[in-house]
Amino acid sequence: MSLTSPGFLILLAAAAAVYYLAPKKLRWIVLLAAGLAFYCVGGGLAVLYVLFTALVVYVCGLALGRLNEKRRADGDRRLAARRWCVAAACLLNFGLLFFLKYWNFTAQLLSPLLGGRDLGVSGLLMPLGVSFFMFQSVGYVVDVYRDKVAPERNPLKLLLFVSFFPQMVQGPISRFGELAPQLLAERRFDADHVKYGLQQMMWGYMKKLIIADRAAVLVNTVMGDPWSHGGAVQALGVLFYCVQLYCDFSGGIDIAVGAARLFGIELAANFKRPLFSVSLADFWRRWHITLGAWMRDYVFYPISLSKPFARLGKAARRRFPGKLGKVIPTSLATFIVYLIIGVWHGANFRYIAFGFWNGAIITLSILLAPAFESWKSRLGVRETGPWRAFRMAHTAVIVFFGRYITRAPRLLTALWMVKELFVHPRFQELGAVGELGLGAGDLLIVAAGVLILVLVELFEEKRGDIRLWLEKRPPLIQWLAIALPLLAILCLGILRGSHISSDFIYKQF
Amino acid sequence: MKEKLIRILTEVCPGVDFAAETALIDDGILESLDIVAIVTELREAFDADIGVDDLLPENFNSADAMLALIERRQG
Repeated sequence: MSLTSPGFLILLAAAAAVYYLAPKKLRWIVLLAAGLAFYCVGGGLAVLYVLFTALVVYVCGLALGRLNEKRRADGDRRLAARRWCVAAACLLNFGLLFFLKYWNFTAQLLSPLLGGRDLGVSGLLMPLGVSFFMFQSVGYVVDVYRDKVAPERNPLKLLLFVSFFPQMVQGPISRFGELAPQLLAERRFDADHVKYGLQQMMWGYMKKLIIADRAAVLVNTVMGDPWSHGGAVQALGVLFYCVQLYCDFSGGIDIAVGAARLFGIELAANFKRPLFSVSLADFWRRWHITLGAWMRDYVFYPISLSKPFARLGKAARRRFPGKLGKVIPTSLATFIVYLIIGVWHGANFRYIAFGFWNGAIITLSILLAPAFESWKSRLGVRETGPWRAFRMAHTAVIVFFGRYITRAPRLLTALWMVKELFVHPRFQELGAVGELGLGAGDLLIVAAGVLILVLVELFEEKRGDIRLWLEKRPPLIQWLAIALPLLAILCLGILRGSHISSDFIYKQF
Repeated sequence: MKEKLIRILTEVCPGVDFAAETALIDDGILESLDIVAIVTELREAFDADIGVDDLLPENFNSADAMLALIERRQG
């Protein structure tokens, strides 16, 4: 079930109404029922995967809880047993994830080695947002292992954490310690929650239905047949893809966060104005924040502080005295994390290359940081506005070229397209931009939408959350912040149907 | 011991006022790379068995918090 479908809106409205009418003690059950209904309608039998994940992490969490209690009582560390629990949760969840997402790709790679035998499996039932709920669930087990949270003893309450419906399809990836107490809280109805929730949902729908779905038309036209266009039009297609991806993903997150807010639940932020990133590492701290934080806490830290990496660090310091020797292990761990993030997006060489692109640039920037600092001080460069603008521009260019990799039909086509940009740009083709699926009116709407988006984000970058600014305005203006976007969505997003409404991109991940 | 700690921290992250800051993590002054570099140095300099489980904001928000963590993890 898509977050833009009437079915979702009906379910959300019904769930909110029943939630606030139900006795406070039973409200979490309403959320659980809504989540299961959402998943059954949207994914059918794939709900079994959700139940499987919830069961695995429930059992592992309980076992870890017992071992933690024993450790506290008699100092018994039982490290091996605790680690086995985490390993079991990881193996069962990521094993299933690997089978569902990567097995056919692996089978293709193995086929030549097996004399052409195809081990691929057809007709696999792919659950919605599988990576999201599995990552969130494994995070819970690790948090219990680290004794950060107590294990949930009620299996249905844990199932609610795994299946909270607004965030199931594309995140954000929540932490048990932050989300579970909110899901189970017995709270009163608060009109402000509804108002803030609707404001954020409208903002999300505007981004998705007015901008992203329009931009998608031009992107699909260009990327469907990049060979018919010169490098400049292909670059325009990638630029529109950057717009589409940001508005699609962040719009979907706004809808999810807003929908959760209707129940008084605050989900973690997943975006922090990535347009204003001053480096690729900064970009990844502002884009898909919850995935980055998950990778940091559950992959980067354990790798960086592991014994093999400690030994590598010592060897590197002996071999390369000074700063270089110190940063080699963390650089390697960083590279591994970005490679995993690339592969997380899907089973394809393009995503592996995407991980490599990000990992290589960030790793190099860590290794070369001392040299950059030295050049900066020699040239007298200071962290002023123009320097910051330059850094933002160069980050945007790096991100832009990274998008060639993920959106081109094939990896080699992406490389060819980059070459075409410099060798055969054919700028004159830009004059016929109106023939790429979007008329002048729609192009103008995309441009105006992007301008409004940039202005709002600029405001937020300088002065903080625009919602806090809105809060200080008269009630009429606050409700207009819901009504006007709704009108715009109806007029430009739904009724003006010159474009095809597309599904959320991150849903497939 | 605190002076030694401040000296090490300043070497790892020059420009940060470790003697005065009390929200190094909460205010985003230290990032993940800094944390790993700091833990690596502290493990070696103080022979402290600091692990991933110790990477909580409350353990790294200030030099005093780090000092307390080192003392808990020594020996």
